[in-house]
Amino acid sequence: MAHSAYSPRRQVWKWFNPLGRGLGMWAYVLNRVTGLALVLYLYLHLAVLSLLSHGPSSWDGFISLARSRAFLALDVILIAAVLIHGLNGKRVTLLGLGIGMRVQKQLFLALMAIALLGVVVTATKIYGWW
Amino acid sequence: MRVPLRVFRARPGQSAHRDLFVVEVPEAAYVLDAVELAWAHLDRSLMFRHACHHGSCGSCAVRIQGREKLPCITLVKDVWHGKGELRIDPLSNFPLVGDLVVDVGGLFDRLSASEMAITHAVGPGMAPAGERPEGMEQLTRFQTCIECGICVSACPTMATNPHFFGPAALAAVHSARIDDGDPERGRRLLHVVDTEHGIWRCHGAWECSEVCPQGNEPAWRIMDLRRAALGSMARGG
Amino acid sequence: MSAPHVIVIGAGSTGAATAYDLSLRGVRVTVVERGEIASGTTGRNHCLLHSGGRYCVNDRESAAECLVENQALRRIMPELLELNGGLFVALTEEDLAFKERFLEGCAACGIPAREISAKQALRLEPRLNPGVLAAVQVPDGVFEPFRLCLALLASARQNGAVVRTFTLVTGLIFSGHSVDAVNVHDYRTGKDEHIGADLVINAAGPWAGAVAAMAGVSVPVVPTAGVMVTVGQRLTKMVINRLNKPADGDIVVPQRETSIIGTTSWKVESADAIPIPQDHVQRMLQTGDRLIPGIAGIKLRGVAAAARPLISKASGADMRNASRTFECFDHATEGAGSFLTIAGGKTTTALAMAEKISTMACQRLGITATCRTRELPLASHRAYYGRLGVAS
Repeated sequence: MAHSAYSPRRQVWKWFNPLGRGLGMWAYVLNRVTGLALVLYLYLHLAVLSLLSHGPSSWDGFISLARSRAFLALDVILIAAVLIHGLNGKRVTLLGLGIGMRVQKQLFLALMAIALLGVVVTATKIYGWW
Repeated sequence: MRVPLRVFRARPGQSAHRDLFVVEVPEAAYVLDAVELAWAHLDRSLMFRHACHHGSCGSCAVRIQGREKLPCITLVKDVWHGKGELRIDPLSNFPLVGDLVVDVGGLFDRLSASEMAITHAVGPGMAPAGERPEGMEQLTRFQTCIECGICVSACPTMATNPHFFGPAALAAVHSARIDDGDPERGRRLLHVVDTEHGIWRCHGAWECSEVCPQGNEPAWRIMDLRRAALGSMARGG
Repeated sequence: MSAPHVIVIGAGSTGAATAYDLSLRGVRVTVVERGEIASGTTGRNHCLLHSGGRYCVNDRESAAECLVENQALRRIMPELLELNGGLFVALTEEDLAFKERFLEGCAACGIPAREISAKQALRLEPRLNPGVLAAVQVPDGVFEPFRLCLALLASARQNGAVVRTFTLVTGLIFSGHSVDAVNVHDYRTGKDEHIGADLVINAAGPWAGAVAAMAGVSVPVVPTAGVMVTVGQRLTKMVINRLNKPADGDIVVPQRETSIIGTTSWKVESADAIPIPQDHVQRMLQTGDRLIPGIAGIKLRGVAAAARPLISKASGADMRNASRTFECFDHATEGAGSFLTIAGGKTTTALAMAEKISTMACQRLGITATCRTRELPLASHRAYYGRLGVAS
């Protein structure tokens, strides 16, 4: 059926603007941002792994960088992205099947609390605080 | 109170600017009253839509302080607290006609396709309590949806996909299936939206339900349609 | 020979119905409206599809008209109406005394009225004032004026009419002693245009006087404002009216999940952006609360004021009880030929108003086709903006 088009312009930036919006929109934006971050991470990971083909010295060079405290922070961010994207993804799956619709906001808050807990535990382990 | 309105001004193809209109309004004024005053006394070329002034026609929908609302039932003091300006912009995701007026043709086309009648019979438990008046087989009521387009404006999927059926029309299909009760028509309507640009294009941002001034909950209705579609698929339908 | 071209000024219920009527008679119509459809008086009306009961004692002409048009609108646009009936309720001995005259009036005008006891009234509407003494059920209905106009104009466009919103009439142009064109300013493009016409109909409601002045003639329209107060809950199924002579705030119209209390009456100089008197709002809540106790405590949803286009029969007349009928004016007698005005009236009788002015116009244009607006179902209101896109 040929309907007149809505907006003639594609406004991709609207995928990333949660200001003044409800929790559902924040969840949506977080999922997109973490999703893009994870895709970027995947490429970086593969690029790093390719160092293996350049022999032990380049690999060892990378590992010593990877052990620095600054770099470990990136690992914490990575874990955060995985937890946020994964847990919220479960929420999106449930909602998309019509489950939990009345509690979509509470579900988001509860899962993000779990994600936060996960990040704290991970950071603790990574930095050896405990 | 003296309210500084910062209103979007533009015509299609021309670059936009925002005009400042300072209007004197009573404490109890609605945002639409302020816009109407600006039009009446300051600039008659300001284009804006309005009709019923009590939130039933849906024509005045705009963005106030960046958020979709009906200005006729939004008090000025609820969105402006004495500091800064009161920003008014047209709805997003619709072609611009001029200033605060957008072309809602796409919305109404899709609402027509949903086959949701604008009034429906009142089911048990819906009417205010009391017996049915004599001589009346059926009580009737206007639909919850007022066809304002606010949900369409807030939807991030609508921002990039002009062919998406949209929250308003998908919710309308959901309502139409309930109102009618006819299983054959229900199956047919489900088929219309069980498509790439129908219920499956939604990404669950839930913003449509958040901004709907009528509490029509389009997001829930879309997911409920998905449940119906999956159920139908499972039964081999 | 090509069809004659008529310009209708105003896209409220009068202009919309007139455009529809003329388009069905083979006339080429252009509607010119300075704002959105129904953005003047029509949009803000009380949404009451009158049974005629309100006028059956004091203004039988209006009452009889209302009933006929009520039935016609039920035929042509059943989908755009909440049809749950209405009650006229007696709260005082004075109201009770009025009941006999009321029932007489209904009978005389052919309005189906059914008297019911206080107990029955409370069973129908438990939220009514428990002190109700008696009630009369009538076929009131509830409509939405904006969608009514959209449906009329969508139907008119299907018959070739062109609707130009956000287009202001800036002048009426004469050729000899007849109006033969209209100057307009199109706000969309910022351009001024000259539109020729065989006849121009002024359907500008409370602004009809200002439009007529552009042709150097006058119409006795007195813009008479009223306040409507809408609360955010629906407390009754039916329309609730006070069983007495028309007074301020004596009707509560339910619509969707809201209730609209109305209305008041005061003359205004201009119908643009009428300031809303807060004491009128309080008064509406008080009178509404007498009919339906508790309504005054419900959160306000919206408050609006608009001006009725009343025709004054005599200067200084009490406009509250002025007739709500309408009148057509042929300004040829005043030196402005091919220029007609339709003034007064109410949305419930839009089709009757359209018929009268369209017939007058067709007589001037030599067209013999008669009115068919009450015979054919209206197009869907969604067809105005949909499919055909934004007009012009």
